[in-house]
Amino acid sequence: MNTLILGLSLYLFTISTASAFQPDVIGHIQKLNGTASILRDNNTVELVKGAVVYRGDMIRTAKTGSVGIVMTDDSTLSLGPNSEIALKDYLFNPKEGKFAFVTRITKGTFGYLSGIIGKLSPDSIRLEIPDATIAVRGTKLLIEVKE
Amino acid sequence: MKCFVSTLLWMFILLATGCSSHHTVILLPDLDGHLGKAEVITTGGNQLLDKAQGMTTVSGPSSAPSPATVASTEFIAATFAEVMAIEPPPAEKLILYFRTNTTELIPKSRADIDSILSSIKRRGAISISISGYTDSTGSSKLNDDLAHDRAQVVCDLLTQQGVDAKLLNVSSHGKGNQLVPTADGVAEPRNRRVEVIVR
Repeated sequence: MNTLILGLSLYLFTISTASAFQPDVIGHIQKLNGTASILRDNNTVELVKGAVVYRGDMIRTAKTGSVGIVMTDDSTLSLGPNSEIALKDYLFNPKEGKFAFVTRITKGTFGYLSGIIGKLSPDSIRLEIPDATIAVRGTKLLIEVKE
Repeated sequence: MKCFVSTLLWMFILLATGCSSHHTVILLPDLDGHLGKAEVITTGGNQLLDKAQGMTTVSGPSSAPSPATVASTEFIAATFAEVMAIEPPPAEKLILYFRTNTTELIPKSRADIDSILSSIKRRGAISISISGYTDSTGSSKLNDDLAHDRAQVVCDLLTQQGVDAKLLNVSSHGKGNQLVPTADGVAEPRNRRVEVIVR
């Protein structure tokens, strides 16, 4: 009986912690060409169209791959071949006025089109490249990072 | 030691030829022609971009970004061809209208359901939001319910046509978020609507 109660409480604990830490979807893979993958919690997941992305994900394209991502604030991120970005921070909560958008581009070619966060809270947006950070006040940026 | 010497030699070659890698940042307007700004910041200095196709390069943590120039359209096309080809298309928005106090679409809006379906197919939509709104006559509760029922009717029409229900998000805004702002109690047909956004 004790074992049963212990088992049950462990089970409930697992459920409650799992839901407590359920991460928010921050964007979707809208377009995909060739091969691309996500590095998430030390696991590599091959990308498919429609896949969701979470805060902290690192997205990588193969030599012939490219990928277009739509974030929940309607901004878009596009990666050319042999490119890599990390979605370091992202928060889109217009009801509470909380916003964050920090993406690091480590290599390759990259395009950014600003969305609702860019309109409501431009100071929250930062793109990082090796040796520099970019404060973005809207519209569209193209970035090439050479290794 | 040998390794150290070769590292020094390598560093010397890099410095002498000046061919250290550099990174490029270019500012562009959006599809509507609006142009924002961007400031590129290193420990060596800042460079503001505020012109269409304005470009700066970064070649190390301690040197300032290069003064802004204008990138040629050819350079942009050559360097960013794949990026621009894979850019997600902007979301498509369609507004549907209803007969007063009913969940019955007006004839023109009934025809628009077909354009929504073809847009979903054409772009391989990843999410579709369906938001119901009313004008500001009547009680809030009544309006919330009506807006919700209208959005649900549109949702049902789309699923009947084979749209995956997992892609659809239905929400009701009642008399909030008006398309044409009015005082409370004002009848405004343009506010009795369902907005469908296809992403």
